[in-house]
Amino acid sequence: MKSPTINLRDLLFLVADPNSYICMIVHSMLRSFGANKVIEVRDSLGVVKALTGQKIDILLVDSKLPPHGGLKLTHAIRRNANNENRTVPILVMTSDTRATTIKTARDVGANMVAAKPLSPASLYDRLAWIAFNPRQFIDTATYFGPDRRFKIEGYPSGVGRRKGDHDLEVGEDAGPALSQTEIDNLLNIARSGQD
Amino acid sequence: MANDAESDAKAFFVDGRFEQMARRPGGVPREEAIERALAMIEENKPGFCDWLDRELAELGELIRQNESQGADQGDWTETAYLQCARMRDVGTTMGFELVTFVANNLCEIFQAVNDGAEYRGDLVDCHMQAMLLARQEQYRNLRPDQLPELSGGLRRVVEYVPNKPPSA
Repeated sequence: MKSPTINLRDLLFLVADPNSYICMIVHSMLRSFGANKVIEVRDSLGVVKALTGQKIDILLVDSKLPPHGGLKLTHAIRRNANNENRTVPILVMTSDTRATTIKTARDVGANMVAAKPLSPASLYDRLAWIAFNPRQFIDTATYFGPDRRFKIEGYPSGVGRRKGDHDLEVGEDAGPALSQTEIDNLLNIARSGQD
Repeated sequence: MANDAESDAKAFFVDGRFEQMARRPGGVPREEAIERALAMIEENKPGFCDWLDRELAELGELIRQNESQGADQGDWTETAYLQCARMRDVGTTMGFELVTFVANNLCEIFQAVNDGAEYRGDLVDCHMQAMLLARQEQYRNLRPDQLPELSGGLRRVVEYVPNKPPSA
């Protein structure tokens, strides 16, 4: 599937990674994609400050962001009903592609997980996916975030709709959106740079 | 019977600023964006070695301070694993395959230790030495298959690391 063109000009990106070099690489990629507003922070406090001071358009956060990790931070952002950035798209970047981590990222309300090493193609495609496949938000006593039962038709590397996919509507729990095998396949493809 | 959480579920559509703005016409087409990003990465390569030196120094210090404890105390081997994963990932993004290869081996070693294998300082040491070699200009742009003796030897070392803790 050909990825659509995205226009990132004037969107405010917040890149949160403890490593300055990785931040710089991601920043460079985003600039290459046409982004002209990118803020870098190194820890969760930096994210909180940035989110408090302005309206962030998208957050790219490392899963191990100090001190408590990007997944806990994502959970905190989603659970805070007073946070005007509560529905901000969150893309979790991670070197840890174990199924449990991916599942946790999904369950804390991340929109997408990008496996490190990031390639320009994988980052562009994930941003395009978020832009062109907006999902319903689900608000329950135990979860706030994008509908986890999303379809991945054609994204990001030819993974098609599965027999068990349901339409996007609130209903009886249909189980995990992605099987572990599909998640693993998705990330293995990304890791080997085939997308 | 539906539980309370399900019956109380609210669903609403969010088409936020990111989604709306990103769909505007006039963006950078995918192929052009990727080409630009790769050129930018190429420009950033000279800084890679300085960064790698700092990472290696930090890792060396971490190992020096903690290896006498083995994997029994603290979570330093998890920190070491993450540091190696960072070198592996950045090495891949920057296209330095030998660095990626050695860092990936270190990841496997520390992951095995985290999973309960015995910590073997000599196995880590030889990879640290290999990493110092891999960062040098004459080796940096080589692939592991262009140095079969080195890469084969290091793979054998990694395969020597037991995946399971020794039985009592």
